[in-house]
Amino acid sequence: MEYFKSGLKSVLGGPQPGAQPTGAETIEKLVDRVTSSTLLEDRRDACRALKSLSKKYRLEVGTQGMDALKQTLEVDRANCEIIGYCLDTLCNITSSDTFEEEQDLLNINIGEQFTEIFIKNTDNVSLVLSFLEEYDFRVRWPAVKLLTSLLKNKPKDIQDIVLVSPMGVSKLMDILADSREVIRNHVLLLLIQLTKGNANIQKIVAFENAFDRLFEVIREEGWLDGGIVVEDCLLLMLNLLKNNTSNINFFKEGSYIQKLTPMFVIPDNIEELGWSPQKVSNIHCVLQLVRTLVSPNNPVQITSVCQKNLRNANLLEALCNILMANGVPADILTETINTVGEVIRGNLNNQEYFCTVMAPSNPPRPAIVVLLMSMVNEKQPFSLRCAVLYCFQSFLFKNEIGQQQVVQTLLPSTNNNTALTTGQLLCGGLFSSDSLSNWFSAVALSHTLIENPAQKEQLLRVLLATNLGSQPVSLLHQCATFMQQTNKLQSKIGLLMLLATWMSHCTQAVAIFLNVPGAMAFLTAQTSATEYDNNEELLQGLCAFLMGICVVFNDNTVANYSKENLSQLIEKRVGLEMYISKLSEISRHEVYGRASKQPQTKAKYPNDLILEFEYCKLFKALESVIVKTLGAQKQLSNDMTELSLSEQENGLLLQYKDVIRDQDRRLQDLNKDLMRITQERDNLQVQNEDLRQSNLQLQDENTLLKAQLSAGTVNSETLPNTELPDPDLLLKLKQLEKEVSEKDSELEQLHKDQDDLLELLTDQDVKLTTFKNRLRDLGENIEDEDSDNNSIDETDVK
Amino acid sequence: MSYAYLFKYIIIGDTGVGKSCLLLQFTDKRFQPVHDLTIGVEFGARMITIDGKQIKLQIWDTAGQEAFRSITRSYYRGAAGALLVYDITRRETFNHLTTWLEDARQHSNSNMVIMLIGNKSDLESRREVKKEEGEAFAREHGLVFMETSAKTAANVEEAFINTAREIYEKIQEGVFDINNEANGIKIGPQHSPTNPSLPGAGGQGGSQGGGCC
Repeated sequence: MEYFKSGLKSVLGGPQPGAQPTGAETIEKLVDRVTSSTLLEDRRDACRALKSLSKKYRLEVGTQGMDALKQTLEVDRANCEIIGYCLDTLCNITSSDTFEEEQDLLNINIGEQFTEIFIKNTDNVSLVLSFLEEYDFRVRWPAVKLLTSLLKNKPKDIQDIVLVSPMGVSKLMDILADSREVIRNHVLLLLIQLTKGNANIQKIVAFENAFDRLFEVIREEGWLDGGIVVEDCLLLMLNLLKNNTSNINFFKEGSYIQKLTPMFVIPDNIEELGWSPQKVSNIHCVLQLVRTLVSPNNPVQITSVCQKNLRNANLLEALCNILMANGVPADILTETINTVGEVIRGNLNNQEYFCTVMAPSNPPRPAIVVLLMSMVNEKQPFSLRCAVLYCFQSFLFKNEIGQQQVVQTLLPSTNNNTALTTGQLLCGGLFSSDSLSNWFSAVALSHTLIENPAQKEQLLRVLLATNLGSQPVSLLHQCATFMQQTNKLQSKIGLLMLLATWMSHCTQAVAIFLNVPGAMAFLTAQTSATEYDNNEELLQGLCAFLMGICVVFNDNTVANYSKENLSQLIEKRVGLEMYISKLSEISRHEVYGRASKQPQTKAKYPNDLILEFEYCKLFKALESVIVKTLGAQKQLSNDMTELSLSEQENGLLLQYKDVIRDQDRRLQDLNKDLMRITQERDNLQVQNEDLRQSNLQLQDENTLLKAQLSAGTVNSETLPNTELPDPDLLLKLKQLEKEVSEKDSELEQLHKDQDDLLELLTDQDVKLTTFKNRLRDLGENIEDEDSDNNSIDETDVK
Repeated sequence: MSYAYLFKYIIIGDTGVGKSCLLLQFTDKRFQPVHDLTIGVEFGARMITIDGKQIKLQIWDTAGQEAFRSITRSYYRGAAGALLVYDITRRETFNHLTTWLEDARQHSNSNMVIMLIGNKSDLESRREVKKEEGEAFAREHGLVFMETSAKTAANVEEAFINTAREIYEKIQEGVFDINNEANGIKIGPQHSPTNPSLPGAGGQGGSQGGGCC
C-alpha cells in the first residue's frame, strides 16, 4: 500500500489535503499523462501507477486506459520497463479472475469483455506476440501471462489469430527453451490452452520439435517422479496427438514411442515408497498418451503400427508388469487394464503375448484368469470390472484362436484339470446372483462368438450339471431358462444379447432355442406387451430382435416353429407394424447411441450398463434383414395360398407333387420307347419290301427257266428222231440237264427260303400289332392304314 | 530405425500440382489419381541412404490453397529442404513460382535447399511449360531443377534424394549449423555429440560411399 501511495504521489505531485480525488479522476489524469507526456519517465511512472490501480479500479482503467496502453506498447517498445507495466496492466484488466481488492463485483464478465475489445484489432495480439522475442524478463514474463489470460477468455479467436500471425506459434515454441523455469512452465500452460482442439496449431507445435523439447523437460524433471511440470508436458503431448493422425504418424516415425520407456519403470520397492498423488497423475497421463496412439478411433494402419512399436519397445510388457504388481492404486490399475486392452486389440501378436502373461499368484495363474476373477467379483470397484471386460473384449477382437481357447475350456473333453479356467469363470458369472456379473459374463462370452461360426457350434456342445443327480442341460438351454426366470433387468438384457449373438447365423442354435420350453412364449409375451416402465421398452425391443433372429436363421427343423409359423405368430400376435416399432425402440434409445459410439463401454454407474457396442453392430446389420424377411413372408402368404395351408394339407400337396413328378418321368420314358419301336418298324418294312422284290425276281426267273426247260425237252425228244444225236449236243444237253437240276434244287431252296421269310414276316406282323395295341393303350393315336397296307402286301406276296 | 541425420523437408507450390501425390509416391510407392485436398499440412517419412549413411527424411506436405498460406509459412523456418512444385500442364502454376520463392526466402533460414520440380511429366501432350523454361528459372534463382511424374514415379526418388544429397554436402562443407535444430537437421541419437565441425572422411562431392559405417 505504501508503494501504491508513493507511486501516486510521484505522479500526482503530492496529496492535496481536503480534496481526495476519486479513482476515476485519478485514472483520467494518469491516462492523460501516459498519452501526452513527452518525458519517458513521466509516462513510465504513469503506467506504473495504472498498473497498481488496475486491480482495484479495473473497470475505469480498462475503459479509459486501453487505447493509451496500446499506444504505449507501440511507441515505447524499446523501453522494457514501461512495456512491462503496460503488459501487466492489460493482464490485470483482461483477467478472468476476480481480485480481492476489486470494488465493482457485479460485473463478472469484465475480463472477457476487455479481452474482446483488445483483440478486436488482431494487430494487438501480434504486437504482444512480438514481445515474446524480447529476452528481458520484465517483458517476456508479462507477455506470456497476458496471452494466457486472453486465451483463457477467447480461446477460439486467439487460436485463429496466432495461427495466421507470422511465426506466432514458432515464437511461443522458442521460449519453451527459456532457461528461466517460471517462463518455461508458464509457456507450457499457454501451449496446452493454445493447442486444444486445433489440429493446425498442433502440427506446427510438433514441427517445431515440441516432442524433443518436452521429453527433454520430462527427463530433467525426473520422469514419473517429476512434479506437476511433467504432468503439464504430458498434457501438452496428449493435446498434440489426440485425433491428429499426422502427429501420431510423426510421433511414431520420430521413434518417440521408445522414449516413453523410462516412464514405465516402476521401482521394486514401490510398495514402501507409495504412490504420491503427483505420480498417480503423471502415470495417468502417460497411459492416456499410449491410449491415444492406439485408439480404436484412429485409422487401422496407424494403430497397428503403433501397437507393434509399443510391443517392440517392451512397453506392453511394462504395462503388464504394472497390471500384476502389488499395491497399485485401483484407478491406475483400471486405466492400465484399459490401456493394455487397446494395445492388444485386434493385434494377433500382442494378443498372443497377453495370453502368456502369468500372474505371480500361488499357484501361478494366467493374467486373463486373474482379471476375469475380478470381473465377476462383486467386491471389486465397478470401473475396474468394466475395464476388465474391455480388456477381455479387446483380447478376443479379431482373434479366432483366442475365442477358441476360451470356448475350449468349457468343452467336456478338456475339463480334466482342476485349475480355474476362463470359461468356468464366465459360466459361473453368467448364472450368479449378482446381476452385474451376469451382464459382464454374458457380454464377455458373446465376444467369443463374434464372426466365428465354428465356436457358435462348439459352444452348443457345452453341458451344465445344474442340480446333483438331474440330467445335465445345454448351456444355451440354461441361458434361455435363466432369462425367463431372473427378475433383474440387467441379467435379462445381458442374456438376450448373448443369445442374439449366438443364434445369429447359426440355425442349429436357433433350433435348440426353439425347443426350450417357454422360450418362445416368453419372447412373444414381451414383444406383444403394450405397457412398460423404465427400461422395459428396451427389453421388449431386445426380445423382438431375438424373435426376428429365430425367423431369419430358421431351417424349419422344429415342428410348429418353422419360418412360416413364426412369421405368422408375429403377424397375428404382435402385428408387423407393432413389431417393427418395437424393434426400433432399440436404436431409438439413448443407451444405444451411447453404446454404439466406441468399443469401450463407458458407464458411471452399474445401472448404466445396458447395451454393448458389438451387440449394437449386430443389431444394425440384422434389423433390416429381419424386417425384409418378415415382409417377404407376409407377401408370400398374401399372394399364394400354399403357405396358408394347414400342415396336413401341405403334406397332401407335397404328396401330389411327388405323384405328378413320377408320372411325368414315366411318360417321358414311354415316349422314348415309342420312338425306338417306330424306328424298328420302319426298318422292318424296308426289309420286307426288299424281300418281296427279290422274291418276284426269283419267280420270274423260275418261270423263264421252266419254259426253257420244256423247250429243251421238246428239242431233245425231237432231235433223236431226225438225226443222230450229236455228241456235242448230247454233251450240251447233259450239261443243260445238269443245270436244270441245279436250278430246280435252287428253286426248291428259294421256295423254302421264301416260306421261311413269310413265316418271319407273320411273326413281325404279330409283333407290330402288339406294339400298336400297346401304343393305343398308352393313348397314342395310330392310323390303321399301316396295318391294312401290311396285310395287302402280305397277300400280294402270297 | 537408427539414422545418422534427420532432415526436415517441406513441399510447397500451387494447389493441384501434385504435392501430396509426390509424397505418397515417395513414402508408399503408390499413386492415387484422386486425392483429397490437403487441409493444412500432412506428415510423411522415409529412410534413405547417402554415402552409406542412413538419413531419415521427415516431410511436411503443405496445402497449396491461398487460405492456408499463413499456416504453411510457419513451416519454412524449421525446414532444411523445400520442394517447390509446379505443374507443367498449367502455366499459371509456373508463373506463381516467384511469389512462392519470395515467401520461402523471406521466412526460411538462408541455407534451406530448394529444389524446383516440374511435375506431371507424363502428360507430354498437354505440356504448357517447356523444360528449358524450368531450367532457366532454376538457374536464375540458384535452384536445383528436375521434372518428375508422381504417376509413373519418374525422377521422384531422385528429387527427394538429390535434395538430401545437397543438404548433406552443405553439412560436410560446414555451412549448416547442425546443432541448431531450427535448421531442420538433427543428428541421429547414437551419432550425436561427436565433433560436428569434422565432417566425414568421404568429403567433397559425396561420391562413393565411404567404408566408415
